Amino acid sequence: MSGLLPSLGRAVLDIVGVVGAIGVLFGRILSRLVRLDLDGRQTLASLYRMGVKSLPIVIVTALFTGGIMVVQAAPTVERYGVQSLLGWGAGFGTLREVGPLLTALMISGRVGANNTAELGTMVVTEQFDGLRALAIDPLSFLIVPRFIGIVTTLFLSTVFADVLALFGAAFAGWPLLGVEPGVFFDGVTGGLLGVPDVVHGLVKSVAFGIGMALASSHFGIATSGGAPGVGRAVNATVVTTASFIFVLDYLVSFAIR
Amino acid sequence: MSDDLERPSRDASLDEMLGLSPGGADDGPSWFLAFTSELRETWSVVTRTLHFVIRGSPQPGAVATQLYEIGNRSMAFLCVSMGFIGMIFVYQAGIQMKRIIPEVSQLGSTYLELLVRDLAASICALMLATRVGAGIAAEIGSMVVTEQVDALRMCAADPIDYLVRPRFIASVIMTTVLTVVAGCVAFGTGMWTASAFFSINPRTFADASLVDGADVAVGLAKCLAYGAAIPLISARAGLAARGGSEGVGSATTRAVVNSSLAVIVLNFAISTLGYFLLG
Amino acid sequence: MIRLRSVVKSYERRVLSSLDLHVERGTLYGLVGPGAAGKSVVLKVIAGLVRPESGTVEVGETDVGRLDELGLAEHRKHVGMVFQNNALFDFMTVGENVAFPLRRLESLPEPEIQRRVTDRLARVGLPGFEARSPSGLSGGQKKRVAVARATVISAPVVLYDEPAAGLDPVSSQRLFDLLREEQRKAGNTVVMVSSDVDRLLTVTDRVGVMHEGRVVFEGSTDLARESDHPVVRQFLRGELEGPL
Repeated sequence: MSGLLPSLGRAVLDIVGVVGAIGVLFGRILSRLVRLDLDGRQTLASLYRMGVKSLPIVIVTALFTGGIMVVQAAPTVERYGVQSLLGWGAGFGTLREVGPLLTALMISGRVGANNTAELGTMVVTEQFDGLRALAIDPLSFLIVPRFIGIVTTLFLSTVFADVLALFGAAFAGWPLLGVEPGVFFDGVTGGLLGVPDVVHGLVKSVAFGIGMALASSHFGIATSGGAPGVGRAVNATVVTTASFIFVLDYLVSFAIR
Repeated sequence: MSDDLERPSRDASLDEMLGLSPGGADDGPSWFLAFTSELRETWSVVTRTLHFVIRGSPQPGAVATQLYEIGNRSMAFLCVSMGFIGMIFVYQAGIQMKRIIPEVSQLGSTYLELLVRDLAASICALMLATRVGAGIAAEIGSMVVTEQVDALRMCAADPIDYLVRPRFIASVIMTTVLTVVAGCVAFGTGMWTASAFFSINPRTFADASLVDGADVAVGLAKCLAYGAAIPLISARAGLAARGGSEGVGSATTRAVVNSSLAVIVLNFAISTLGYFLLG
Repeated sequence: MIRLRSVVKSYERRVLSSLDLHVERGTLYGLVGPGAAGKSVVLKVIAGLVRPESGTVEVGETDVGRLDELGLAEHRKHVGMVFQNNALFDFMTVGENVAFPLRRLESLPEPEIQRRVTDRLARVGLPGFEARSPSGLSGGQKKRVAVARATVISAPVVLYDEPAAGLDPVSSQRLFDLLREEQRKAGNTVVMVSSDVDRLLTVTDRVGVMHEGRVVFEGSTDLARESDHPVVRQFLRGELEGPL
């Protein structure tokens, strides 16, 4: 028992430290964004790389997620005989919750971890210092472009995933519940779901993107201890990003009704 | 390090280790080949692990060590995450229920059914894919690139028997245990949310009337399937690590991504099977 | 005792091209050559860790290239190997590391296992290190544990991949002398790969020089030193000019 309280305390301090450092990083990124102080070519390169990397995963995840939503809703739909509401049910869950959440979690593995690994390797091979020695600001050159890349990628992927998931759901609903795609999409577009639901999901995706970009960049820059340090940093990123996603999900859900 | 050979992304000796015959170069779209050979190697890991589960050499304490590793590493993280999920889900569901049928008394029972049948297992598994999957891939991957796996083979210790088997058994057990615990946490926070935001009496909320044997069976099947898939996929990724710590890093990423994808695909498959077979 | 004939192995490029190698029983054979010439691969082929695409690999009476997994496991009972990076199992103590091959490859009573471990560790100059963890050891100490582990089963064939890599000159020479003494005492067949050509040549009976995937010279140590072969001469003397 004696070890529990100190280690708990240490854990709390660690978390506070990380959150604080990330806050500072966010501030520095924002100040550069506002001044448009960033490297255009790096930004475009980031966007391309991250988008391409995420595409196959987003497609597979979205299609299967659509199917899962239908299968989960199936017992309830059958029980109450509300086939026409399947589109609404699946759409609601997808747009507001599952779409942004799963997309972010899956992309975090690829893009987030990769970002940390790249930055971390640059740090331990002293490329970061090299940039500074050349009077290039590492933040504008490396971090801000990746920040934009990650947030944009997550946003666009969520949109794409939402659409794909709905299609996946529509075509799962047919054989499973005998709900024709036409009826399904009527349920989606008929009055119960509206623009606010879509916006709700998209705001979340942007928030997740910011969280992911900040966490991955922070742990990348703060890497120390050679090659094993990079591994530890990647691990920290994945865990922190997932935590961020859940916390932000909670905050946004309750903030926007 | 002198004589550092450039190792390719697929080492034929991995094939030998897994008991596959080294393939020659075929014609065909390369990504498709890569995908099928991934499947083939993963399947080989699966069959060999199962073989050693039944016929492996005795390793006192190996499974217990792994149980501790997995449980210790993930329990807190899982409970906190599931706690949040519980709150979010109940809140969102409550709002929507009120929009359609201004009656929320069924919120608790519907939530519990969904939790048992799907949510607890699947979300926990996605989290575990991250923690446990990355951990296994990193451990095994480091051992591969520091030639410890070769050293094991030199001592006639099959790496799959020695490294993968204890982690496999531990993961199947622990995934189920962690899911149950975290599921309870999620139910608890959901109950609190329902009470705080929709004034639902906790006793009304704690309604198990909709949960039947089929739900428990499906949920359990998912726990076992996820618990099996994550270590196998991650171990396979670790065994294929090449080229120093960068290789270990990319093996870790691959393990996390592929395990997560597997969870999603298995979720769909088991849910659909459950729906058709058990209603 | 060990004979490789026309062995071919490719990774992304051809590493071993029609390689011939012959090691006589009871000798210490040194394999040298420029970096990335494939020397480690040759050792792994002999150990059965890597299967050649074509050619034969004979160790004693056995054609190693044709063995299946079961046969390979049997083969490895007769081969000890020290890897470039030691490959000590970092989740076990030193004592457990050295005991590991004994437990896996032979069924001995526990007291006998402990006795052999203690004996081995004393022989490599690490008495009482049984309970230590590998991560706390110096480079030279780790190497010696690796040697202890490879030789504890008294295998007829022992393979050393860069045994002195990263060691200071004194420790390096000590290690080579130790390995030579071991080989003489046990009378087994040893193949040693090293970039430290000068020191290696002080302990070898025969030398093989690799270049571009083949063994271009094979002969006694004295012959090697006097050879006129351009590659051998350049490499053994560390000259800058020549085919390399």
